[in-house]
Amino acid sequence: MKTKKTPLGSEGALFALYGELDAFTGPPLREELGEAVEQGARFLVLDMSQVEYMDSVGLGIIVGAVKRTREQQGNLAVVGPQANVLRVFEVSGTKDLLNVVRTLEEAKGRLKGLQIDDVEGQ
Amino acid sequence: MSSLERDTVEMRIPCEPRFLSVVRLAVSGAAARAGLGISEVDDLKVATSEACTNVIEHAYPEGSAACGPIGIRMVVREGELRVEVEDQGVGFDPKRLPKVEPEERVMEEGGLGIYLMHNLMDEVKIESAPGSGTKVVLVKRAAR
Repeated sequence: MKTKKTPLGSEGALFALYGELDAFTGPPLREELGEAVEQGARFLVLDMSQVEYMDSVGLGIIVGAVKRTREQQGNLAVVGPQANVLRVFEVSGTKDLLNVVRTLEEAKGRLKGLQIDDVEGQ
Repeated sequence: MSSLERDTVEMRIPCEPRFLSVVRLAVSGAAARAGLGISEVDDLKVATSEACTNVIEHAYPEGSAACGPIGIRMVVREGELRVEVEDQGVGFDPKRLPKVEPEERVMEEGGLGIYLMHNLMDEVKIESAPGSGTKVVLVKRAAR
């Protein structure tokens, strides 16, 4: 799995994810998201539009990241998953709790407290 | 050769996460051969991957060095794919599996794999006993 990280204001980060998210590819992502929160990104947006596969391991990693952001009074949102990935969120009952939405604008709306007015192009 | 043998694909993978994508590719091909649709193929990929991940993570608690191969058997029928995932690990009493309710587990970082299998497949059977390995049987049929 490849990732591309972009700052989202001073306290947030947008991660674009590419490829498959399973027990092989997941652990490095878990580390990366954990480090981002440790470094002050208490609001995370995961762009999953380019994720071709996810199972319960990926789900667990996202749940872990949500918990870490909420410990810092932040939150996380998931943007634009493909139909097969969206189905895993829906069947597991996590779609609303993990703020799974269609667009980046909707994600920003879910992340109360995220200040991004000073960031160009966002 | 019986018709069952003619319609069966078998493979063994090393007990390592990097081979999960290989299994998913094989299951996709077999499911397409059975005439299943895209969403059914996707469900099978997740359920089979969950079963294999459980072997990798739980069947050999003494460590990956002791982890034997994972056997995968796919029986292709018109409108149905049956996948069996088998290991020779420590096994367990299936009656002692916790009953998973998503509302209870949703904010935990693991434990939804078996729940997903049950909810994505038409049939799930778990055959296991302490010391005797485990076989998970998954069946998916084409929507009518």
